[in-house]
Amino acid sequence: MNLIIRVTLLFVAVSLVVFLIGGVISFNVMMGEVDAEQKRFLRERLNRVSLIIERRNPEDTLERNKLTIIPLETISEEKVVFSDTLVMHAQLERMETHLKLEAIKNLNGKSYRVIIYDVIVEPDDIKDGLVESLVKIYLILLGAVIVVGFIVSAYMLRPFNLTLQAIKKFSLKDEDSVISFPKTGIAEFKRLNQFLEEMTEKVKSDYQSLKEFSENASHELQTPIAIIQGKLEVLLDSNKLDEDQVNQISSAQHTLSRLKNLSTSLSILTRIENKEFDQVSSINLSSQVDKMLNEFKELIELKSISLTVEIQPHVKIDADEVLCELLLTNLLNNAVRHNWENGAIHVSLQEDMLEIRNSGPDLEIDPNELFHRFKKSNQSSNSLGLGLAIVKKICDLYSCRLEYFQSDKQHTVKVSF
Amino acid sequence: MKLLLVEDQVELANSIHNYFSREGDVCEYANSFTAASEKLHGYQYDILILDIMLPDGNGLELLEVVKRNWPEMGVIIISAKNALDDRLKGLDLGADDYLPKPFHLVELNARIKAVFRRRLQKGENVVALNEIQINLDTHEVHVHDQLLDLTKKEFELLHYFFVNRKRLLTKQAIAEHLWGDYMDAADSFDFVYQHIKNLRKKITKAGGEDYLDTVYGVGYKVRSV
Repeated sequence: MNLIIRVTLLFVAVSLVVFLIGGVISFNVMMGEVDAEQKRFLRERLNRVSLIIERRNPEDTLERNKLTIIPLETISEEKVVFSDTLVMHAQLERMETHLKLEAIKNLNGKSYRVIIYDVIVEPDDIKDGLVESLVKIYLILLGAVIVVGFIVSAYMLRPFNLTLQAIKKFSLKDEDSVISFPKTGIAEFKRLNQFLEEMTEKVKSDYQSLKEFSENASHELQTPIAIIQGKLEVLLDSNKLDEDQVNQISSAQHTLSRLKNLSTSLSILTRIENKEFDQVSSINLSSQVDKMLNEFKELIELKSISLTVEIQPHVKIDADEVLCELLLTNLLNNAVRHNWENGAIHVSLQEDMLEIRNSGPDLEIDPNELFHRFKKSNQSSNSLGLGLAIVKKICDLYSCRLEYFQSDKQHTVKVSF
Repeated sequence: MKLLLVEDQVELANSIHNYFSREGDVCEYANSFTAASEKLHGYQYDILILDIMLPDGNGLELLEVVKRNWPEMGVIIISAKNALDDRLKGLDLGADDYLPKPFHLVELNARIKAVFRRRLQKGENVVALNEIQINLDTHEVHVHDQLLDLTKKEFELLHYFFVNRKRLLTKQAIAEHLWGDYMDAADSFDFVYQHIKNLRKKITKAGGEDYLDTVYGVGYKVRSV
């Protein structure tokens, strides 16, 4: 439920309660006023009747329209009593509630009972009128609130909606994406925009420095690695070393090479994320797969792996050639590495998917984690655990689906594009 | 062969200098754009080994200067910045090769030799070690004039040994040379062993001598003859 409807409903509910209470109060006030006015009217008539009595000194009971004067035998105390009574209404020809004034007046040394009555305004009539007018007012108010509410809120919430749109467009990865919020006179939105501006700036600069760090880290590592590698090689090339020393150096070189691969792979991941591989062209995937298989041919043969290939010709995709090569390299590399001697690899390329199936020992980890960085089936193995992370990144970049299945010591990686 | 190394990392420069001075080649060293310009104007070099990132300038600019003034000089770019556009730009500007850091010195040696052969030996295409002759154009290998049937990798392997004579080639350097980015070196040691075994077999079968020495199980070296 959106804000406007919510506020409107709340307003409608509150105003309903207010109208109910207001109705009761209005009714009471009006009744009081009417009552007081009628009594005042009857009292005035009593005064006029008193003047008539003084002038005429009536001896007998006098009965006129809505007026009865009865001379009393004895002198009584003066008093005025109001009461309601039912009297036949002449025009309406039915009994109507009348207000009755019954007074004892002492005039010219005599007591008179004076009875005056008049048609009363009935509470029911007042109530009906009141309810009717209140309902009408309430309906007008309701209509006005809804119409004005929607118009005004559309206007007032405009800056808010514009802010939402601006946030939606904001991308962390796009360095040039400048988030600009609309100017607004509403203090709350001003604060919101200011806060969002600060927050996005902070997020962007944090992301930027993180990105720069990983870029620099993998890049800056290359030079020291190059220096160490050079030193080790110069050392190894001297002829004065014994076997143990040569082995030590070789082992250091070996480790260094892992470090080198690690930093290269991380740098590749970062560069894919930074969208640095943007030389997209139409690639003949069929011949690309063919070419790669050729590169791996000897490795496959040396491990006595039987290779079956099923390539549909002229399958084309739009991608960066380097990334395409990286993807195939990593997948084939895995298929060879995690295979047995005399194992099997099956490569199948169709119009919309590439499938590489290889035999090999069961995974020791959750297959879903396989695409995460540094996840590998055998933690002590020599592989870095970055190959499939790179593959995943490439697939994400081109919105391809990457799946892994395992059954009966057969591992299948499927890329659907 | 006269080499000029332009590299601001002193330690790395020392290693390269050390490594290449040993074979009787002259390897001089400049650590900045300015020093390199001075040396280039003062002496003659066959091959320039150029780092792109220099403290006082961009190596690519130096490359332009070199190509303008000494077009016959071979240039190999070495850079820690393995950015694709740098590589392309360098090759576009006339560099002969691009080697990303870190690299094996034997690999650099092989690249230098290749450039040297192409540029200064005018594409001299036959390299020989006594009875073994390899033709770099046709990719054929003859032992006592008998054609050897080698696979592509075996040919590359033999060539690598030939250009790195008297150098110790570790299995790792060989693996990286043969498979480059395609393989993790660790996995391919067995493959290197297999290839060398096959290569030896083929050469000796054709009556050639096995010039390969195994060095403590770490690598191989072509015996000096």
